[in-house]
This record gives sequence, C-alpha cells and structure tokens, in this order.
Amino acid sequence: MDDRCVETRIRNQIAEVESVAETVSRFCATHNLSNQLLVALGVSLDEALSNIIRYAYRDRGDHSILVRLDYQPGSVAATVEDDGQPFDPLSAPPLDLAAPDRDSGFGIHFIKNLMDDVRYIRTNGINRLEMRKRIV
Amino acid sequence: MDVIEQLAGSVTIVEPRGRIDSATAKEFGDRLSELLNSGRHQLVIDLHSITYISSAGFRQLLIAKRSIQDKNGKLVLCGISGEVKRLFDIGAFDELLPIYPTREASIANAQ
Repeated sequence: MDDRCVETRIRNQIAEVESVAETVSRFCATHNLSNQLLVALGVSLDEALSNIIRYAYRDRGDHSILVRLDYQPGSVAATVEDDGQPFDPLSAPPLDLAAPDRDSGFGIHFIKNLMDDVRYIRTNGINRLEMRKRIV
Repeated sequence: MDVIEQLAGSVTIVEPRGRIDSATAKEFGDRLSELLNSGRHQLVIDLHSITYISSAGFRQLLIAKRSIQDKNGKLVLCGISGEVKRLFDIGAFDELLPIYPTREASIANAQ
C-alpha cells in the first residue's frame, strides 16, 4: 500500500474521531487537495463516524471502525466499515429544510450534498459506506 | 479547537479556531453555556478562523441560540465565507441563525 491509500482504525468512542480528522488533513496535504475536498471529506467522515458511534451498537462493548482514504485519478474515496446494526444511511428520509425547529438529520444531508457519489452495502455482518468526491 | 474571547462593551466575541466537529462540539457548547451562565447574554461568534463545522457544531449553535433567547439576549454570527458558507447554505442555517457580514455589524446587532 502506498500513500495513495491510507487506512486507519478507531474505537467506537467519539473522541477518536479527532484522529480521523488529522488523517484527512495529512492526506489532503500529501496529495495537494483543495480546501473544498478537505472540508467535504472531513465533514462527511465526521457525520458518518459520529452516527455509527452513537447509534450502531446495541451493546456497550468496544468495536473497531475502519476508515480508508483512496486517492485515484480524478477522484477521492472515503470508505467506512463497521460491525454495528445494519443501517443504510441513504434510506433516511430527506431533511425538511423548511421546518423551523429542525435540529437533527443534518448528518446524512451533509454527506449527500458534499460528496458526488455515496453507496452503502451490507456484507458478512459489516456495514460499508463508500463516499466519493471528484477532483475538479 | 481553541476558543479566543474578547469583550466589546457588553458584547462577548467568541472566536473558535480549527474544527468544530463531533469531537470538539461539546467543548464549544459547554463554553457557550458557561458564558451564558456567567451573565454574558450578548454573544458574537466569529467563525472566520474555523476550518469547518459539522452538524454536531451546528447543533451547539442552535442550542445556544435557544438558551440566549430564553434569557432575552442575542447571539449573532459573522466571519462566514468560502467552504464554511457552503456548509451554512447546505443546511439553510442562515434561516435559523442571524449572520452579519462583518464583526462590527455583528457587535452592533448583538446589543
């Protein structure tokens, strides 16, 4: 594996998300990616990981969450894999931006709007969310 | 994330620096609560030094806004441009939070 692909694992603790943000920052610097890409990757991974950590696990045990960043010609992919409850974030109802008291449901909304292509698959007890952004 | 604070008369200017994300949002929200509980009910939050703010950070801003309204105070924002403005646009947060183009305008409207 060269620096085009970076993998890291975090525990299901919200403080661990900080290390992913640092990894994203280094990855973007290594590949000279724009601030727009850094923000899209950073916010989307924060939303995906915080949702998993808060809602995916019914037990109180330790779990490991995989994060992979993959630099390809013309695009960057951020992939998250967890062994929590099956959950397809793309199945969540769209956020009602007209609701004046809205204060939840922003996370998936951000991911859908910041990334160009988002795919979810559940295989062998693992949730896999792949989020791709074109380099323009 | 660091938070720089300044006073402008009765107005407290809060300037977070770095990322306001799920790992730092609670610390940011706790600081805003401390200011409110210490009687600082006129807040300007200047976001020009943040890299980005995720939904966890926006949630803290909305919580602070409601708390300040309950105390008849004011919370206004400034320093929002570039990618941070794009995040505000995506969530239509400009409809939920008062935003001014400059720190001076924010201070005037927080009083």
